[in-house]
Amino acid sequence: MTATQANERSARTAGQVVTEFFDRYRAHEVEGMTDLCSINADFSYVPFEIWGKQRVLRGDGKVGTVGKTIWAGLINSFPDLSNTVHTLTANDDGDVVVEADIEGTQRLAWGFAAPAGQHYCEPHLFIFHVGEDLLIDAITAYWDNAGISRQLGHTEVD
Amino acid sequence: MTITVTDAPAQTVHDFLDAFGRRDVAAAVSLASPDVLVVVYPLGVRGTGHAALRPVLADIAGAFPDLRLTVQRVIATGDVVTALVKVEGTQAGEYAGAVNQEKHLDLDEAWRFTVTGGAITAVSAYWCQQQLYRRLAVKRFDQIAIV
Repeated sequence: MTATQANERSARTAGQVVTEFFDRYRAHEVEGMTDLCSINADFSYVPFEIWGKQRVLRGDGKVGTVGKTIWAGLINSFPDLSNTVHTLTANDDGDVVVEADIEGTQRLAWGFAAPAGQHYCEPHLFIFHVGEDLLIDAITAYWDNAGISRQLGHTEVD
Repeated sequence: MTITVTDAPAQTVHDFLDAFGRRDVAAAVSLASPDVLVVVYPLGVRGTGHAALRPVLADIAGAFPDLRLTVQRVIATGDVVTALVKVEGTQAGEYAGAVNQEKHLDLDEAWRFTVTGGAITAVSAYWCQQQLYRRLAVKRFDQIAIV
């Protein structure tokens, strides 16, 4: 392989970027995760939805603001947070789809879930887009918060 | 949003979602292979075959007679096709243990399909059941049927 091929976006190189992202996530390197993203990368954690009395907080925005905050908060509340990638498929347009389990043991409050020392492991689906500069420019994720809440011993919907 | 389908596996998924959006469960299921692997995480469904897939679709179509399924994005990565959809409707019957309170549902979901030889051979669905329960006015995970 030539150096040029190694730096060109393809299904293979896009997949490598995302694999590195999960490696850094597993190592709790939030800055390193962010370094793999473009400065204006879009972020959407679809199930992230906290209903307050007058407003709803959603996990939509940018990696540099919303994403980093959520990742850091998760690692803070679940100090052994980890991930297991089960499938990764990609195309030459930079789309990467990942099925992964995210798991951890709760030590601090997360959302409305008080810490009870419970462990959760929940399947997630991530959709990444990797730009031609081999930086992630969009992250979207889906999972079931009800599954996480039940595992953490939190039985109230809100 | 207009979805342009140029990929064969994506076309199969498009046809599946189109049929499901019309609440034509039989037509949607017919696009899956007889031994399709079905995993619907929020419902705890893991099974194989049309017998596993059919009730997943029929329950939604039956509980939400004005079902509206909007395909937001289709991503083809080889034989795997991932569809991001919005499911909307007004509850008219029990669904996933939640009694009917005639609430409106709007829920973003992701469906990941594997297509082999023109047939869907695996499907896994992701959505947040907490969001679904919230919209259907369920208050507790351990007392879903209590209003």
